[in-house]
Amino acid sequence: MKMENETTDRPMLEAVNLSKRYDDGVLALDGVSFEVKPGEIFVMLGGNGAGKTTALNIFLNFIDPTEGEAKINGIMTHFDPLKAKELVAFVSENVMLYENFTAMQNLDFFASIGGKNVYGDKDYRDALLRVGLLEESHHKKLKNFSKGMRQKCGLAIAIVKDAPAILLDEPTSGLDPQAGHEFIKLLDSLRGEGRAILMSTHDIFRAREIADTIAILNRGKIIMQKKASEIAGRDLEDLYLQYMAGHNSEVESPAIGGV
Amino acid sequence: MFSILIIKELRAIIYSPKFTVTFAVCAVLMLLSVYIGINEYNRSVIQYRTAQELAEQRMTETTAWPNLINKAQREPNPLQIFAGGLNYDIGRWSLINREDSIKLQHTHYSDNPIYAVFRIIDFSFIVQFILTLFAILFTFDAVNGEREKGTLQLVFSNPVSRAKYLLAKCAGSWLGLVIPISIPVLLSLLLVVLFKVPLDGGDWIKIISFLGLSLFLFSFFIVLGVFISTLIRRSNISFLTSLVIWVVLVLIIPRAGVLAAGQIVYVPRVAEIEGRRNAFAKDKWAQFEAKMENTWIERSAESGGGCSSASDEKLWQWMKEDDAARKKVEIEIEDYYAKLKEDLRRRKAVRERSAAAISRISPASAYQLAAMSLTDTDVSLKTRYEDSMNSYRTLFNDYIDNKAEDAGPTGQIMIKVSSEDGFDMSSFDSDQSLDLSGLPRFRHPDRSFSESFYPAIIDFGILGIYTILAFIGAFFRFLKYDIE
Amino acid sequence: MLRILAKKEVREILGSMKFVITFSACAVLILLSFYMGAENYSLSRAQYEAVMAQNMERLEGLTDWFSVRSQRVFLPPQPLASLVNGVSNDIGRTIEVEGRGELTADDSRYNDDPIFAIFRFLDLDFIFGTILSLFAILLGYNTISGEKEQGTLRLALSNPISRNLYILGKLLGSGIALVVPLVIAMLIGCLLLVILQHPMSGEDWLRLAIIIITGLFYAGVFLTLSLFISSVTYRSSNSFLLLLSIWIFSALIIPRASVLLAGRAVDVPGIDENISQKAKYSSQLFKEELAKISQFQPASSGDPEKMVNEFNRFMEDIADEREKKQNEFNARINEARNNKLRRRERLSFNLARISPSTSMTLAATAMAGTSLDLKDHFVDEVSKYQKAFGDFMVNKTGSKPGDRMMMMKIKLGDEEEPEQIDPNELPVFRYQSVSLAQSVKSSLPDLGLLAIYNLLFIAGSFRAFGRYDLR
Repeated sequence: MKMENETTDRPMLEAVNLSKRYDDGVLALDGVSFEVKPGEIFVMLGGNGAGKTTALNIFLNFIDPTEGEAKINGIMTHFDPLKAKELVAFVSENVMLYENFTAMQNLDFFASIGGKNVYGDKDYRDALLRVGLLEESHHKKLKNFSKGMRQKCGLAIAIVKDAPAILLDEPTSGLDPQAGHEFIKLLDSLRGEGRAILMSTHDIFRAREIADTIAILNRGKIIMQKKASEIAGRDLEDLYLQYMAGHNSEVESPAIGGV
Repeated sequence: MFSILIIKELRAIIYSPKFTVTFAVCAVLMLLSVYIGINEYNRSVIQYRTAQELAEQRMTETTAWPNLINKAQREPNPLQIFAGGLNYDIGRWSLINREDSIKLQHTHYSDNPIYAVFRIIDFSFIVQFILTLFAILFTFDAVNGEREKGTLQLVFSNPVSRAKYLLAKCAGSWLGLVIPISIPVLLSLLLVVLFKVPLDGGDWIKIISFLGLSLFLFSFFIVLGVFISTLIRRSNISFLTSLVIWVVLVLIIPRAGVLAAGQIVYVPRVAEIEGRRNAFAKDKWAQFEAKMENTWIERSAESGGGCSSASDEKLWQWMKEDDAARKKVEIEIEDYYAKLKEDLRRRKAVRERSAAAISRISPASAYQLAAMSLTDTDVSLKTRYEDSMNSYRTLFNDYIDNKAEDAGPTGQIMIKVSSEDGFDMSSFDSDQSLDLSGLPRFRHPDRSFSESFYPAIIDFGILGIYTILAFIGAFFRFLKYDIE
Repeated sequence: MLRILAKKEVREILGSMKFVITFSACAVLILLSFYMGAENYSLSRAQYEAVMAQNMERLEGLTDWFSVRSQRVFLPPQPLASLVNGVSNDIGRTIEVEGRGELTADDSRYNDDPIFAIFRFLDLDFIFGTILSLFAILLGYNTISGEKEQGTLRLALSNPISRNLYILGKLLGSGIALVVPLVIAMLIGCLLLVILQHPMSGEDWLRLAIIIITGLFYAGVFLTLSLFISSVTYRSSNSFLLLLSIWIFSALIIPRASVLLAGRAVDVPGIDENISQKAKYSSQLFKEELAKISQFQPASSGDPEKMVNEFNRFMEDIADEREKKQNEFNARINEARNNKLRRRERLSFNLARISPSTSMTLAATAMAGTSLDLKDHFVDEVSKYQKAFGDFMVNKTGSKPGDRMMMMKIKLGDEEEPEQIDPNELPVFRYQSVSLAQSVKSSLPDLGLLAIYNLLFIAGSFRAFGRYDLR
């Protein structure tokens, strides 16, 4: 299914000068701005505590920003979170679902709370098949699933929701090469449908493979943001290490530590 | 190697946040229970003394030997601070006189039913309900929790024998829980000393063996937790299982066991026995009256028509004869009642034995029974007092009889109504108070340590056997435990 | 939307191993307590009937109402009292009625049979107080913190549902998962009572229904409390530990400790002093009377029958006067003590009501007629009987038996054999338990308190979850 606003240039996801300081004084995000257009994959690269997950949390209104705003299709997430959340699907690092439910039951529950649409068993089956889960596993309880199967199930939930934006938090960590590859292929096809995809990862290899735009975060700041075309032919790992080295040699930033 | 494993267990326990919470709760509750226990004990001492004084005062105000009534009181027992047992459920005193037989009445709970609504709290309660719960709480995931975290695999990637590991696990958890808990225990003992609770050497030995018994129960639940954790692969399920087992062992079996025993052996109510005695007494007195009627008819014929014409001397002679006859009937009734009571007691003993046997399935009730025995607040408390009060009653009544014999007729009123002489009343009362210095006094039955300890031996044994069984179970399960 | 959330909650709970284990344990115990209650009742009933039979036998063959010196009355076992024991086993069940004088109940069940006092009985109050609350905690301790650990909370809230709606769904779902199985277990328990032919009247069933509702309210308190605690904690193990500590204090410690502490705050003089003062006054009165009695001269001399009657009337007047004086005296010294008792009772219970277990016990025992008032109520009921008995005896013999005069009649000459008395003429003691309206009235504040606890914790969980950190 194609998104109708594919042709417009209006960003689906937009971060404007986003900052977050936690109650304990840690500055997790420090004036971050970026935008993700429909049909685009934006990858945030960075180490632990760089602020990637904080940014996703603000988009999902799990936390409010201290400054700036996160917008989904122009809707400020902390202003009208419910409306905004109709437009995003979320896949977390370790997809954790209800262990005692079958894949179908999990899909049913999360799809039902997902939005205004009415879904049926057929939609669930299609989604599960699309992510590569065979029919026989549809009625198995989640506790019998491997990590790769769970991740696929999580993506199936996002697919069923049929949201124009998808947020992924470290989706490929811990997957074996084949599962990782399949996952990336699925993301590619979702991009092809015109969805805006925001993904955080520290997997440079996968980032390179799929990203339209890559941003490197360190201590809550974007220290590099480039189109995939701009870095074509260069070794991304070298680039990453180079940027990090350059940034860390600067004056000691107040934001030490991480989240 | 072994000590390294033990120290690791100790660390794991002491650094865990649940340790802080549980330790604090235990410490507070133990001290609270002992503090309350001391206060209640002091109160019952005051109550005891007041009641003693009142009974004494009542006696000094009596002017005739046959009217003398004494009250034999149960003496408060300082060990009730640790295990109240049946102390509050058994009557506090019995009247001692000619007419009434021994009956302990006015229990603490019936006098103050407000305490019966929730009952009291004592040290044995804390051990039985709280400590056992905490023992389970710390050990339910001893093995399967480590497996889930992956640390078990890591440990056994090193040259460690399984037997040693399990032993260290048990020993470590045991030390890690027992050493900290012994601090509030020692503080409670200190509290008892500071408040100057009168404890003699025998009492201290009883307290120490009571604490030893508590340790036995605590150890059982620690080992039980370890056993369950080897039995069940997932820690959240083993947690629920051990909680259910705890509920059944601690809350259910003791109660259900006693009730089941109550169903097996029918024991009539004391009131029924008394009713039977009264019916017997009624018949006897009716016979007595019929006999007296004849006697008096004979007597009046002897003195030449009408009793009033007889001399006072003769009248007293007759009354004495009547008294003797009455006493004979009284003794007959008493013997009959004693027989009934003996039968009741036998039935009760059978029921008590079967109740104890059934409920001892649960180590918690074995503990409770032994704790009561060690602190002299067990079921035999009642019979013990009844027996000693009975022998006191005999002493008392004999003494009174002798005195009354010497003192002549006092404290009696005689009213005669006859068709010939009309109405006549004579009273034999004196205002002189009695000399009570020679009156035998009630001495409360004292149990030596060995007498208290003897019934508890079986419970020590049961707890020991249960602990060993649980350990053996854990041991063999763990030898074949699938570590992956 | 709410329906979806609640449905998922119910489905998740019912499908979990946790529910299977805890509910089956809980259901077995509920059934056991109903069964034990019924068995216990039939045991006490058998004992009671034996006692009553003995009591009547005592009167058979008597030829003179004079010989009926007293009558014993017994608190009959109540079908509800065996289900919710309250203080019914602790207070005296037997009262000796002599037509006048103060009544004391003796022979408490636990004093008679201390073996039962060791562990007490397994009644509904106990099952509710300890097991039901534990069950509710187990059901609810990881409601929020568990989903947080699982990661499902973030996923669920990445969807357009408000937090209030989400927690409302949780509340509804877990409430249904708690109440429905429990109600079913209790209904089976009631069916068991019917099968065991437990003699319950219509009113008793109504009372039992209210007791069960009280139990559900109480379980609700612990469910909402668990919801609240689980939405202020981030790890379910912490949440459980906290709840378990609260449970220990609420179900086991606070009720006991607060009664004991309040007992220290209000010093009530011991009953022994009270009894002894009364006895002293009584013997003083007796001495005064003795002087009066010795001056008695019958107006009609000659016929002993008439003289005896005259004397009895005279004695009756004296006894009436004595009773009046004694009653005044008793009332005076009882009042001071009763005031203190009431103060202590109020203080203890109000202090203990910090714990919802107290409210549950007080409401349930009030409905079962086994609350603290049972003791006074029993004595009051017997007082009414005492009056009827006294009037009956005056009617039969001209005096009340409580005058404590030994009478020995000696008949000279041949008279015809007297007829035996008919013991069935004696008024029968019929125990009337506290009226339903009265019971409802005294349990209403506690039910209200339980409801308030529920609302409080619900409000608390909404507030806490609104601020729950989803990071």
